[in-house]
Amino acid sequence: MLFAQGYITDDAVAMSLFLSLQLNKPLLVEGPAGVGKTEIAKVMANALHTDLIRLQCYEGLDATHALYEWNYQRQLLHLKMTEHDKQSIDEKEKTIFSDSFLMKRPLLQAITHSKRPVLLIDEIDRSDEEFESFLLEVLSDWQITIPEIGTIKATNIPQVILTGNRTRELSEALRRRCLYLYIDYPDFEKEWLIVKNKVPGIDAKLGEQLTKFMQELRQQKLEKTPGIAETLDWAMALTALHIDHLDKNSIEQTLGVILKDWRDTRQVQLSLSELMKKTGIISKVDAL
Amino acid sequence: MITRLTSLSKNIVQFCRFLRGKGFSIGVEEETITLQALQYIDYSNHKDFYQLLKAILCKSKSQLNGFDNLFYEYWKQLDKAIDSKAKENAPNKKPPAPQHAQFKSLKAWLHGNKNDDTEETAMYSLHESLSQKDFSAIPDDEVDELMQSIKALSRRLAARSNRRYEFSNKIDLPDLRKTLRKNMRRGGELLDIIHRKPKRNRVKLLMLCDVSKSMELYTAFLVQFLYAFQQVYNRMETFVFSTSLQRITPLLKHKNFNDALNVLGGEKSGWNGGTRIGESLDQFVNAYGRELLTSKTIVIILSDGWDIGEMNILAKNMEIISSRAKKVIWLNPLAGYEAYSPEVSGMKTAMPYIDVFAPVHNAESLRMLGKWLFI
Repeated sequence: MLFAQGYITDDAVAMSLFLSLQLNKPLLVEGPAGVGKTEIAKVMANALHTDLIRLQCYEGLDATHALYEWNYQRQLLHLKMTEHDKQSIDEKEKTIFSDSFLMKRPLLQAITHSKRPVLLIDEIDRSDEEFESFLLEVLSDWQITIPEIGTIKATNIPQVILTGNRTRELSEALRRRCLYLYIDYPDFEKEWLIVKNKVPGIDAKLGEQLTKFMQELRQQKLEKTPGIAETLDWAMALTALHIDHLDKNSIEQTLGVILKDWRDTRQVQLSLSELMKKTGIISKVDAL
Repeated sequence: MITRLTSLSKNIVQFCRFLRGKGFSIGVEEETITLQALQYIDYSNHKDFYQLLKAILCKSKSQLNGFDNLFYEYWKQLDKAIDSKAKENAPNKKPPAPQHAQFKSLKAWLHGNKNDDTEETAMYSLHESLSQKDFSAIPDDEVDELMQSIKALSRRLAARSNRRYEFSNKIDLPDLRKTLRKNMRRGGELLDIIHRKPKRNRVKLLMLCDVSKSMELYTAFLVQFLYAFQQVYNRMETFVFSTSLQRITPLLKHKNFNDALNVLGGEKSGWNGGTRIGESLDQFVNAYGRELLTSKTIVIILSDGWDIGEMNILAKNMEIISSRAKKVIWLNPLAGYEAYSPEVSGMKTAMPYIDVFAPVHNAESLRMLGKWLFI
């Protein structure tokens, strides 16, 4: 199923996803940046032919941003417009606290969705602990209470995927609600397969060299270790430049695609020859 | 205890109990889910069966790492049990790694080489609550995890006084004057309501951290704490001292922690030497006191109080500091032990000038720090 969507995976990932679907449990995915955590949700939504609803977490995110908010300006304007109508106060109240004045935020959207959606709660570890416990409540009951309207129960329980970078420890309670999956950087075969799949026009030799190079690069101690996303960007960049093999020049020119920190760039520039030797790339200039 | 059970479900329940004994947080719910899940796969396939248990029963990365061994340990024992009579003894536990290994790991971390190998001790404490652990006894692979929690802690501490957009339930008064003014252009219709909150008196923090020999085990962690704190809390000045004082605020503001630590200099004199608290404080009061000691400053001193310097100098300077600063908090790593009483002469001398005396030996105690800072 995943493969059909162009997502290369291994047994652990497949099993976790399968169980999460079958048991209807949220899936908590952790791992370093750029290994395709978010991609899982996208692929899953595609495979299930349903919508992806995304809630991006950040520090200070609170319930109003995640659940719902009354469109307060619109309510006021509406009141002003109907000022001279002969509606009773009760009627007016009913109108302004109706669905059309409700701004649905991701969580409410997810539970009122007509078709069972995939709900991606991205970077949950960025949010505050208060929000995390609030989320627990929603994840276990699947209902949201709006004082003016009443309790809204989920029409379809969404398929939930939470992702995290381990910037902070998540609470035990949240972990227990979820299935846990840790994705690490892929090994050479897997990454090469991904490159081949995502950049179809790539020269076979270039692809192999480039994947090897990335594998070696991750062994180094870098500020920001490049993920698969960077590998793919690089592959696409090199293909677009019609380069069919790696040499010192081409690597140096395109280093900015994979390294996003100037200290890293400097470090790699300094150790480039060594890296290339390890990777087995022999520069033509050097050979002469 | 591993005994042979005939049915698969019983075996699974027992495996869950086995894992629970190893510190996995597995409840009845997980057991139920595991059994439910089995109907969806072909469980005679060993690989699938293994993946399924792993996917359901592991709840964190360290558990994932430890799972493989435990899994084989259990099922291997089980195979044995099938051949012979049930064994009474659980598999022998390896003795925990000796203290010096942990010390080594601290040092390794201090010098920035992350070690990915799992220490043998880690296996048996997969889920012990880190925050209760003493800083001086932590195996390698948990160091990173602890770092994270310290970072989170200090971010939270800092956030208590600098998140500007938080909602408050108690005080959410509309600012009528500004609201009217802003809505004039809309014909006096009150569309945007402007709220106001009482302005907070932001405190400044001043950290004085002891980095002498007697503090060596804790220093790496405390400096990391200072570092994390400095990253998120701007209004903070940091000094380290042993025999003399050094201002490290600009170092901590550096982006790279290892760089900062290297410059602070493992081999450099002063670091890890003896302690002269009095003289160091004297240096501080003379050089920075006028500028930094204000009624909005909370002074935090991190030290065990072992002092080889002059006691009257210490007393004099503690008095100056406590009279000028808002509050003086003394954090002592030794105070975490039950039998501790401040017997050391340095500690005794300083005691009268301290507002809060507290332990700082584990992450839990750092959390308590927040309480004292904001009351």
